[in-house]
Amino acid sequence: MDSLTADAARVAPAEHDRETGDMRRAGLLHTIGIVCGLAAGAWLGAAEAPTKLVTMGLTPVVVSLTMVVGVFLARWSLPALIQGTAHVASDCRQAPHLIIWAVLAGCLWAVANTLTIFAVRDVGLSIAFPLWNSNSLLGIFWGIVLFDELRAADWRRWLGVIGGALLMFGGAVALALASTRQTTPPDALRGVIAALTAGVLWGTMYIPYRKAYLTGMSPLSFITFFTVGELGMMTLLAVTFSAGVAPLWRELTSAREVLFWLLAGGFIWVVGDLFQQYAVKYAGITRGIPLSNTNQLWGLLWGILVFGELRGGSQGLYTMVIGGSIVMALGAGVIALSSLSRSEHASWRAAAEREAKRYRVHVDFTRARVAGNGATGTAHTGRTWIDWLLVGVATAILVWFASIARPPQLQVSWSWAAGLTIVMVAAAAGCGAALWRTTRFN
Amino acid sequence: MSEPNDRMRSILRDAQFWIPVVVLVGGLLVLTWIH
Repeated sequence: MDSLTADAARVAPAEHDRETGDMRRAGLLHTIGIVCGLAAGAWLGAAEAPTKLVTMGLTPVVVSLTMVVGVFLARWSLPALIQGTAHVASDCRQAPHLIIWAVLAGCLWAVANTLTIFAVRDVGLSIAFPLWNSNSLLGIFWGIVLFDELRAADWRRWLGVIGGALLMFGGAVALALASTRQTTPPDALRGVIAALTAGVLWGTMYIPYRKAYLTGMSPLSFITFFTVGELGMMTLLAVTFSAGVAPLWRELTSAREVLFWLLAGGFIWVVGDLFQQYAVKYAGITRGIPLSNTNQLWGLLWGILVFGELRGGSQGLYTMVIGGSIVMALGAGVIALSSLSRSEHASWRAAAEREAKRYRVHVDFTRARVAGNGATGTAHTGRTWIDWLLVGVATAILVWFASIARPPQLQVSWSWAAGLTIVMVAAAAGCGAALWRTTRFN
Repeated sequence: MSEPNDRMRSILRDAQFWIPVVVLVGGLLVLTWIH
């Protein structure tokens, strides 16, 4: 045996061990991503609950704006509390171009959210919800076309993801039809176009998400800039649709007793969205987004158990709800079980390296962060007084609005609300602990 | 050329950037029409 062959023989086992270690790590991160996707569904679905406590009288745009203010408070205080703003600043120094991507994604979200309000007004929730929930199908398309997700996967994984997403879509249609009784819509075409456009906007929003996470940015850093676009665009839309700042302000001040519930809805939504971001980072768009779309299932659970919706319904209605839920859960299960293959993992890594090269981001940073590790030069810097100030101000604002909040006027089953809340908190604690142990929230 | 300008040029040359931009403009047009 010549020396080169001997060297190769010595190196090969080490290389093999490294690759096996990488795959084991990728498998663990993938599992965490899948679990985060499911936890996201639970929290995003629950975010609708506080908004149901608000008696009607507010314009849809004001409801949306107030929720976005709650979202803004959460998106700045949670990252400050979990990683510290110094960590966010350090991430931005490594990949400053992602700030633009994050703001763009926030603008897409705000326009889509406003469109859904008009869609519900024009065609009702039953038609609008499945139409805009088609965003996960578009997200899968972008994941495959732009980021090579699933490209190197075998036919079973393709079938698992695409088949699972279609099953979930079918379940979503059944659930949506069951959850609202539709009267003849006055402006059907306009509402359908609004819902489909919202789906296209949300489906496209996952391009910036994936872009950021392939480069290695922490989801906690991404959302702090995402929300700038979100609040900026939403404020612009609210001022425009309310015919000026003064009328908007008057409406907000006259509704101050119910604003807390909307702010709380926004806050809960952010926790769900945060898990959705980690799901996209570690399980990809193709798996993460369909799983977080189980929010519809959770929203329905809150509606039925806590708010007594569908009470006294026909047997056909209950069959549709149960059937739709089972189909949706089956679809989610199929996607969750569609694991990441070695060749697919290599394809992800290649996409990440292309991103690093395109934007001249240090390849070590990208490699480390994609694998959920800290990177050199981005050591955990801890929390400073700025972080405590952000957390303090956000808490004070929420506490003040809570202190003037009017109690809900609805019949609510508090025991079911407590039960579902315990499940959500347990899911968040489990996912949070797994993310902390494995990635330190990177 | 400075690094921020370089990165900005990379964004503008990135075809993936224009997809969300075009979709956002389209969304705003639909919203204006509906409103």
